[in-house]
Amino acid sequence: MNDTRKGFLIDTSRCIGCRSCQVACKQWNKLEADKPGKERVGGDAQLTANLYNRIHFMERTIGAGVTWAFFSERCMHCGDAGCIKVCPSPGALYRTREGIIAYNKEKCISCKYCVSACPFNIPRYGEDDKVAKCNLCQDRVAGGLQPACAKACPTGAISFGNRSELIAKAKAAKKTLYGEKDLDGLGVVYALEGPPSVYGLPASPSIPLSIFLWKDVVKPLGILGFWGSIGAMLLHYVTVGPKRPEHENGHGEEHHE
Amino acid sequence: MNDYIDRFNTRERVLHWFVTITFFTLLLSALGLYSRLFTGYFNLFGGGQKAIIIHKVAGVLFFISSLVLFIHNRRRTTDFNKDDMEWFRYLGGYLSRKEIHLKVGKFNAGQKLFGVFIGVATILLGITGIFIWWPLAFPRWIVQLSLLVHGLLFVSSIMFVVVHVYLGTIGNPGTLEAMLWGKVSRAWAKKHHPKWYKEVTGE
Ligand code: HEM
Ligand code: SF4
Ligand code: SF4
Repeated sequence: MNDTRKGFLIDTSRCIGCRSCQVACKQWNKLEADKPGKERVGGDAQLTANLYNRIHFMERTIGAGVTWAFFSERCMHCGDAGCIKVCPSPGALYRTREGIIAYNKEKCISCKYCVSACPFNIPRYGEDDKVAKCNLCQDRVAGGLQPACAKACPTGAISFGNRSELIAKAKAAKKTLYGEKDLDGLGVVYALEGPPSVYGLPASPSIPLSIFLWKDVVKPLGILGFWGSIGAMLLHYVTVGPKRPEHENGHGEEHHE
Repeated sequence: MNDYIDRFNTRERVLHWFVTITFFTLLLSALGLYSRLFTGYFNLFGGGQKAIIIHKVAGVLFFISSLVLFIHNRRRTTDFNKDDMEWFRYLGGYLSRKEIHLKVGKFNAGQKLFGVFIGVATILLGITGIFIWWPLAFPRWIVQLSLLVHGLLFVSSIMFVVVHVYLGTIGNPGTLEAMLWGKVSRAWAKKHHPKWYKEVTGE
């Protein structure tokens, strides 16, 4: 990855669960409120088409006591993005110079392949039946601003900037990082306080196996197989040749092929 | 004496070409979804979203008609016997110009295999197609697996159909008539389907 790549570093130890980032995200992206009941609090909380970033509150028992773990779930802006790999509509999902996985609803054809291909189950669909997820405040970043969530965070849990510099700084501070190398590096790198499973993250995220086989094996082999079968038929025609019925005395027609 | 014998009646021929039209509609509307190399094919349908709608409609029509064709032919395509094993051993004599005499009924072993394959593929394409149609209504792994299986069956049926079209047209002169106006010449029938020829003519 080149050095124009920008990213987040999210330090979960500094997050106090205030949800300022969530509110700022909703406001900047002009997202409607979800209908009551749709937006659930707690362990089963979900992103929605109107919620690109959500703070999860996770209760953990440590020894005799209970503590909270706070975790901001959002699109990871993967280096090797499953959503882009499968998207059939050019320009619906694309990567910017900064490494943002951006999207254009007008080009989205509502096939929902990206939903199946995302290792983190991020893309959502709203009433418009078009893809919806964090766009990393593409317009703000292009204008040299911080994304809304990073700007709003009062504790410095979310920092945004040059991805490799952020990683170097976190490493110098002896943080355990998640997402530095996975999927060619995530655009959102976490400093976690425990194993990824505590935060509901896969230990080593990867593009789902079926999706990999579909797009990286079946697709190219299929195209080869198609032309191969046409080639084989042509070859058969000029080598062995067609099978013509024998002429029958009396009632065989003449053949002029 | 009539030089021609009946092979497929009108209903069978109309059904066959209905299946063929829906198949190629499915093929063309799916190309853009299959790979971004083929995005241009979306234009045939007025864009990707419309191509998806056409694909769904054609999918339902293909599913029903292809299944009816399979059920109609089932007795003659699923009864693999000793003569069919012999046919597979020589690949129907298609690998050389030498004349060989195989005992073939109405359908040869290759046609039976094609018929069964398309029948099974139709059912599986239909089932996986339902999951892909409503991806949010099913567990993610089912939809992911469906996308893989649907793609795999898509390309393998196309490859089977390429062979089928070749053998039904220029590979075996005189065969296309069977599906166009329903009759074949006696010479054709004796050469390609001697057991069937005996069955229908008693000669
Ligand atoms: C341009 C395309 C096609 C042509 C020219 C064509 C031609 C033919 C011909 C000539 C026959 C009769 C063979 C005989 O008399 O033994 C036949 C049979 C048949 N065709 Fe097609 N066909 C085409 C496409 C398809 C497609 C797309 C399907 C299904 C997906 C299909 C399924 C069948 C089946 C099931 C039979 C019955 C015999 C068998 O199992 O091979 N055809 N076709
Ligand atoms: S997290 Fe999912 S939606 Fe975001 S870039 Fe990665 S694959 Fe795409
Ligand atoms: S739903 Fe839209 S963004 Fe997602 S893969 Fe399909 S066309 Fe691309």
